Amino acid sequence: MIRKNWLTLSLLAVVILFNSGCAVNRATATLDPTADLVGIKTIYVTKFAPDGRGINLLISDKLKSMGYSVNTGIDTPKDVDVIVTYKDKWMWDITMYMIELTVIIRDPENNFPLASGNSYHTSLTRKSPDEMVAEVVNNIFKQGVENGQK
Amino acid sequence: MDRNKAFVFISLIVSVAILLSGCASPASKDAMVAHSVPITQHHQKTVSIKTQGGSETGAMDSSNISNSDLAKAIEESIVENGLFTQVIHGDGSDYLLNVTIVNMSKPMFGASFTVRMEAAWSLSEQKTKKVVMRDSIESSHTATMGQAFVGVTRLRLAVEGAVRENIRQGLMGISRLQLD
Repeated sequence: MIRKNWLTLSLLAVVILFNSGCAVNRATATLDPTADLVGIKTIYVTKFAPDGRGINLLISDKLKSMGYSVNTGIDTPKDVDVIVTYKDKWMWDITMYMIELTVIIRDPENNFPLASGNSYHTSLTRKSPDEMVAEVVNNIFKQGVENGQK
Repeated sequence: MDRNKAFVFISLIVSVAILLSGCASPASKDAMVAHSVPITQHHQKTVSIKTQGGSETGAMDSSNISNSDLAKAIEESIVENGLFTQVIHGDGSDYLLNVTIVNMSKPMFGASFTVRMEAAWSLSEQKTKKVVMRDSIESSHTATMGQAFVGVTRLRLAVEGAVRENIRQGLMGISRLQLD
């Protein structure tokens, strides 16, 4: 009995001392006031190096469905209107799930973040990668609309 | 008997840790102010500040930065280092400084917490809307167990340090500009 209590206490102590926080759901987007999303026609989605799940393809497909000319790969070309970078973060809870996705629209000339979106959903309200991509991308371009842009 | 005493002792420590840690505390505005920034040029202009990308820290969240606290930390840093003559709230300033947090990488578990941050800094003339600076600034800060034993406190220290360094680099970049 004492051994069991010890184990429980030890686990609790480890979680308290090493864990940085608890659970949250969040979906936000920003647009720099000097940025203009209206003229965007061509987009290049740069693959996040550690991404082994092809999230770049999901983002690319989503943007294509919105009418943009999109290519994706590991390059950072200059001859496009904007470059899209992203970072996906995954967690395990029974199964692996995407806990956070950040998408940034950048100026190809200087890498400046023109607009960005972030979604963070913990296990109980987890979304599929497709849904996470759609939520982030929609929020970014919705932000552009609210600022009188495309 | 000794085991029982040790068990009670550990129980007390865990209870105190729970009470002290809660879930998370927001980054402190005062701790994000950048002091003694090496300024190249003090601009005889006024500026207003807009911040985006921050978020409030919820009870079940990890340490975040609110937009208002970020703006206040930038304002205090500008005033303390004399980068502009005045920070104006609302209309009427010479320049608009926009700072957007676009990425904040926070660890969820570990002994040392390193927080990495990227913020978009843009400065534009209010009257002409001319953009005089666009910069992506990346910064990071590591907080160790020696600095804070409880994880959520350690994370808050790492977040504050990353923001402070970002503000320091942003102010240095602006001070290098030739403003009309």
